[in-house]
Amino acid sequence: MKLLLAEDTQDLNRAVCAILQHEGYEVDTAFDGEEALEMLLQSGYDGVILDIMMPKRDGLSVLSEMRRRHILTPVLMLTAKAEIDDRVAGLDAGADDYLPKPFAMKELLARVRSMTRRRNEYEPAELRFADIVLYTGDMALTAGNTVRLCVKEFELLQTFLSNPDKSLSTETLLERVWRNDDGAAADTVWLYVSYLNGKLRSVGSRVRITGKRGEAFGLADGGETV
Amino acid sequence: MKDLTDQITRIRTELHYKTGIDPVEHCLYRIKSEESMREKCRREGLPETEESALQMIHDAIGVRIVCSFLSDVYTIRDRIIEIPGIAVVKEKDYIKHAKPNGYRSYHMILRTHEGYFAEIQLRTISMDTWAALEHHMKYKKTISGNIALISAELKRCADELTSTDVSMQAIRDMIFEDSEGEENV
Repeated sequence: MKLLLAEDTQDLNRAVCAILQHEGYEVDTAFDGEEALEMLLQSGYDGVILDIMMPKRDGLSVLSEMRRRHILTPVLMLTAKAEIDDRVAGLDAGADDYLPKPFAMKELLARVRSMTRRRNEYEPAELRFADIVLYTGDMALTAGNTVRLCVKEFELLQTFLSNPDKSLSTETLLERVWRNDDGAAADTVWLYVSYLNGKLRSVGSRVRITGKRGEAFGLADGGETV
Repeated sequence: MKDLTDQITRIRTELHYKTGIDPVEHCLYRIKSEESMREKCRREGLPETEESALQMIHDAIGVRIVCSFLSDVYTIRDRIIEIPGIAVVKEKDYIKHAKPNGYRSYHMILRTHEGYFAEIQLRTISMDTWAALEHHMKYKKTISGNIALISAELKRCADELTSTDVSMQAIRDMIFEDSEGEENV
């Protein structure tokens, strides 16, 4: 796990760097905003700890510039002032979290852990329902045979498998799976449900997604003779 | 052989006339050469006679019917078993139960009223493309590259192609669905 630490106070920079390294992180250090931005543009990091008050270029400007360049690395801001406006500006500019100075090292480490924890660490490697297994790593759907799903089919089935007892409306599915993409409509949901039912049949499963076009859909075990 | 191919052509023409779409993309016929028949007899420990050739060897005549869509495979299969004078000796649905390497096809062994056997392989275009590539791998003497990797990737492709076949079928069903069509899944 590689971090960038941008902090202009020499002692603090050194102390934080030493502790992070002790925790097993690989750490690059920058002492001003321009240096930090240069390093961000040159190499990939898993997380950035960014002081707001820095010479040459302040942390907010570094943050806005990296987000403008589509660098999505998570950012923890260090704010000296307990100014609410500062924190709001930082979060609005694309920071993931902030920590007011002075801080306890223990809290800094917890926030770094939280920042670099990937969302998919919470995702199970496989989802099961009746006779099917959906592998999240390679989007493979397995019962007797295996097929590989495309991204939207996978996300749709994953949504059903995460809510096995619920009936999900077409609107809910458009919102969760298609994130209200303009091109997606009720018929899109219907077509993808048809794809999934074809694929469930193809792998030899007795599971089906039942429901009417434009209405709510849910998982059914053996709802149809195979 | 002529009878069988004529019957298959008839089925194809009838379905094409009825639906406006030719269900068969292409069709190949082959008769095992004398040399490979003799070789097979030796391998199976059979006498190298005409009788063995006709009565014991099931794939002396081979027919491969390649369809555009999955449902066509089963439509053709249902029509083949109705051909008069034809007995179905064996059927194996490797589409429903794919082989572990990813191979998919519908196999049938038929016996004609003259008593000879024919092996029919029904598959979609994508299954056919896959089988052709897998065949190359199996029969190439020296494979440059990692065999384990190639096999795993072929299996992955088979599972992706199946997925696409099923999606294409769903799109076709949507295009041709009756106006008052079934809206229940």
